[in-house]
Amino acid sequence: MSVMSNPATVGSTAATERVRRSITGGKADVKGTIFMLLMLMALLMSVVILAVLVIDMVTQGRTVLTERLGDFVTGSMSSQPEASGILQGLRGTFWIGVFTVVIAFPLGIASAIYLEEYAHHKSRVARFIDVNIRNLAGVPSVVYGILGLTLFVKAMGGIVGPNSNGRSVIAAGLTLAILVLPIVIITSAEALRAVPRGIREAGFGVGATRWEVTRHHVLPYAAPGILTGTVLALARSLGEAAPLILVGATTGYLSGGTEFLDLGALTDRFTALPIIITTWAGRPGEGWVSVTAAAIIVLLVVVLVANAAAILLRNRFDKKRG
Amino acid sequence: MKLFPTGREARYSALKIAAVPIAGALLLGACSSDDSGDGSGSDNGSESGSGSVVISGSSTVEPISIDVSEKFAGSNPDVNVTVDGPGTGDGFELFCNGETDINDASSKIKDEQIEACESNGVEFIELRIGNDGIAVMTNDANEAISCIHGGDIYALVGPESQGFETWAAANELATEVGGEGDLPDAPLDITGPGEESGTYSSFVELAIEDYAEERGQEAQTRPDYQASADDNIIIQGIQGSDTSFGWVGFAFARNADGVKVLEVDEGEGCVLPTDETIADNSYPLSRPLFIYVNKDKAAENQALTDFVDLYLGDAISSVSDVGYVDLSEETLAETRSRWEARTTGAA
Repeated sequence: MSVMSNPATVGSTAATERVRRSITGGKADVKGTIFMLLMLMALLMSVVILAVLVIDMVTQGRTVLTERLGDFVTGSMSSQPEASGILQGLRGTFWIGVFTVVIAFPLGIASAIYLEEYAHHKSRVARFIDVNIRNLAGVPSVVYGILGLTLFVKAMGGIVGPNSNGRSVIAAGLTLAILVLPIVIITSAEALRAVPRGIREAGFGVGATRWEVTRHHVLPYAAPGILTGTVLALARSLGEAAPLILVGATTGYLSGGTEFLDLGALTDRFTALPIIITTWAGRPGEGWVSVTAAAIIVLLVVVLVANAAAILLRNRFDKKRG
Repeated sequence: MKLFPTGREARYSALKIAAVPIAGALLLGACSSDDSGDGSGSDNGSESGSGSVVISGSSTVEPISIDVSEKFAGSNPDVNVTVDGPGTGDGFELFCNGETDINDASSKIKDEQIEACESNGVEFIELRIGNDGIAVMTNDANEAISCIHGGDIYALVGPESQGFETWAAANELATEVGGEGDLPDAPLDITGPGEESGTYSSFVELAIEDYAEERGQEAQTRPDYQASADDNIIIQGIQGSDTSFGWVGFAFARNADGVKVLEVDEGEGCVLPTDETIADNSYPLSRPLFIYVNKDKAAENQALTDFVDLYLGDAISSVSDVGYVDLSEETLAETRSRWEARTTGAA
């Protein structure tokens, strides 16, 4: 329905072209066409790169995925590629996602709301914080790994992993939540900044408090943008391997760690999909090549599912906004 | 721009400051990175719990420990076993810090590592579990050579040998590094394991590293050789040329046809790799493999005791299953009695 109301798409392209010609003196738009082609090439380039990756992985991992998909997804790490499975990695990645959603999203969005709606934009403190957060978003992920090691594994090890020297999925989840926090803050702040000033002024004009304006007008308007940012952040946290190595994800072998919802096991040793992929990729032999490719495909699917869920949510907000 | 001033501003500016600790914490983390190794003393007190076995250490021994762990997990589903392979040295740091129960090691514990363990009150039981040996080979038909000096091996496949297309091309370099330098003038066709293989790193550590270090080179092989992850293909490469050169794990070379396993001379005469010369480490390209068990943890953790019992019992076959050389009967018996008696310290 939103398509129908958009004036730009009303009428045929032929009519649009006729109008354009009549107001630009009838000349063909050469520069415009070249520009369009350049943009198209840029787009094709990214699509081709993605396609090559996916096709390469699918060809290499096809046998694993077709012949023993069930065993592969429900199996454990092993010394033999034929017996290897990724359930423990899926579990770790699942919990990292949960920690990101539960910790980084609320904290990040709340920080962004404060920075955009409440703080004085021109105050030195606000600008200082803003610049710092932008810098933090560019800090290499290993540095966050070191932070996680110092803060969660060493200092808080007794709480997050009393029976694993702190090297638990809780420590990993917290580390990655902090890693994506700046991204969530920045993208949410951008989304809030894009809300027209007039919407707020109209709210204040009819006597609404700042809270009411934020809650009922600004947030619904900014929700799709905020969601886009959080999706990128979630995908990032699901795909990171470097910080997990420092936090102590298990690379070689792990027994147990297959119960997804066993909260008591959250303090045990863990592994995650990106770690499994990095480890397997380094092992010799054809067998490891194909299970690595298969694990990469599963990780892609996991990220895709997370993205799809967020896009569905965003579309719902979009409709609400009308 | 203060469009809508309210009375709350003051309260919120206090909140603004709350964002600072996040940045501060990150800075702190980045600055105190050096702490990661030695850790805090409080870790020593934490127990691994009765239901877990934590193994770290050498990536060479890692496949053996993983194989044993899989056998163990089959009959002990409630015990959490974790195996990592960051390297012998990194493993000892964790082990002497009391963080791991067992450390895999591809070399004997060093004096400074013993000191580190002692200063943290960690007593260890040293258990030799197997041997790592690399066989260097040529084609059966190659009459020109039967014994090769360590320096010659370095000259043939070390980091400085890139581009050598005949054996003789390496002679000058071989003499320089203390080898014999009497290699035949024949085409050189090299086949060996690829860089990602454990046999590659074993070979580099046993045959290349010392020479490379002395000459200020990186410890690696030349890049221009036929690399394969499949031992069978390496053997085929050796069989495929009359003047080939290559290396595989000894356990594999022993059973290969059409190849001539070379004797190696590292200054103490030519030694042919055999089960005996590898077991007593008189063959230069061999080394013992160990596991180090934390004695106190073994005393209080039944799962750990059961695990080591299995390791030295039925599961000792894992050593040869993953491609290494078994201990001799006597050495294995010695290892078992060390474990039974819980003999601490390095032998």
